[in-house]
Amino acid sequence: MKRWSSVCAPLICLLLALPGCSRQQPEVYKTQLMTLGTIVDINLWDVEEAQAQPAVKAVEDVLNGIHVHWHAWEPGMLTELNTQLAAGATATVSAEDAAVLLRTQELARAGDQLFNPAIGRLIALWGFHHDDPPLGPPPEAERIRQLVEARPSMDDLVIEGTQISSRNPRVQLDLGGSAKGFAVDKAIVALRALGIENAIVNAGGGLHAIGSHGDRPWRVGIRNPAQPGIIASLEMDGDESVHTSGNYERFFDYQGKRYHHILDPRSGYPAEGVLSVTVVHRDGTFADAADDALFIAGVSGWKEIARRMGATQVMLIDADMTVHITPQLADRLRMEIDPPPKMVIESLQ
Amino acid sequence: MTRADYFVLAGAVLLLPYLYASYWQRGGAGEEVRIVGADGKEILASLREDREVHVEGPLGTSVIEIHDGKARFVSSPCHGQLCVHAGWLHFGGEFTACLPNHISLAVIGPELRYDTINF
Repeated sequence: MKRWSSVCAPLICLLLALPGCSRQQPEVYKTQLMTLGTIVDINLWDVEEAQAQPAVKAVEDVLNGIHVHWHAWEPGMLTELNTQLAAGATATVSAEDAAVLLRTQELARAGDQLFNPAIGRLIALWGFHHDDPPLGPPPEAERIRQLVEARPSMDDLVIEGTQISSRNPRVQLDLGGSAKGFAVDKAIVALRALGIENAIVNAGGGLHAIGSHGDRPWRVGIRNPAQPGIIASLEMDGDESVHTSGNYERFFDYQGKRYHHILDPRSGYPAEGVLSVTVVHRDGTFADAADDALFIAGVSGWKEIARRMGATQVMLIDADMTVHITPQLADRLRMEIDPPPKMVIESLQ
Repeated sequence: MTRADYFVLAGAVLLLPYLYASYWQRGGAGEEVRIVGADGKEILASLREDREVHVEGPLGTSVIEIHDGKARFVSSPCHGQLCVHAGWLHFGGEFTACLPNHISLAVIGPELRYDTINF
């Protein structure tokens, strides 16, 4: 009996000690904010509460500021600029805003104008300039045709210093396709200015990560576009952005057909054949613009646009749930559904 | 081998499932749920206690159900119903929100399978 207790005692001590190992204080400060028309998830590694709170406030200020400034339909800088452009006038913006517009123009050009933030009128016609998605029916074909034939494009915009005008009065800017990208990038800059080197700011479809989760990389799950849950995951390599555009973000169903918010500027209708596109890139503004251009380019055209834009890490999930992926992303992506989906690894060369 | 040796062996074998569960399975069930209302006020509720939480927002009352270690929006006076369609949240780190009614719901728990979700 004595021998038994001499064995049991250390064993029981060990058992009691084990839960202690797994119940360490969480070292991630995680919180969510409602801004940018979405829920924003913030993760900070290894920061004191006293440092975390001003950091979250800084992120909130940056995101709220961009949300109001670049809002496509609530009165702000952008709606004022749009009024001037429609009137054929020249508007003066800040140097920072001019830089954003210039960058957006370059990205639209690189994406063969498939990423087209000049089609604000078309997006409004479809009813997507409301917080709640429209109920349908889709707009009249004739009205869509008129707006498509007006061919508004970012190349119509004349940017001379801080003076902005448009050669085409039908241009109305809606930066919904790239604003999340530069908003999140700017939030990361704000965090770095406060000395934070390990963080993720995730505004739903677009996130920017820096540093790591201590002794391991940050792990990101990518939503399954066809059903609730995760389709794949990947580990972040330091300073990186992941942006996904999906047909499930904003849409309405009318008479059995889904109409989503990613409009093809060539047809004026929602782009077809694709459920979601994910782009991984260091620069979030780039990744956010590229995911829309590739979504619209579709199964037949995405590789050409990816090559032109220089997007090397891309995953496109088509309407049949086939995953088209570049080798650079396939190497590091882990499929999280069983059985795994059909995958086609497509080299851009 | 003595009886004590057998005992140690048996103990080690019995420990295996526990060790596996603790150290190999990434992602743990949540312990608490944090509800943030339109006024910024936080409600912390244990996931171990089944209950219904009514939260007021600018559109009206959103109802959140906690049942069997999971939480979800049962109803919300919004038009899109995205929060209700998000379904049950179970694991630490999962979150959703009713944006029109300014109410967010997040599960707090140990080690997450993913740090965040791109959606």
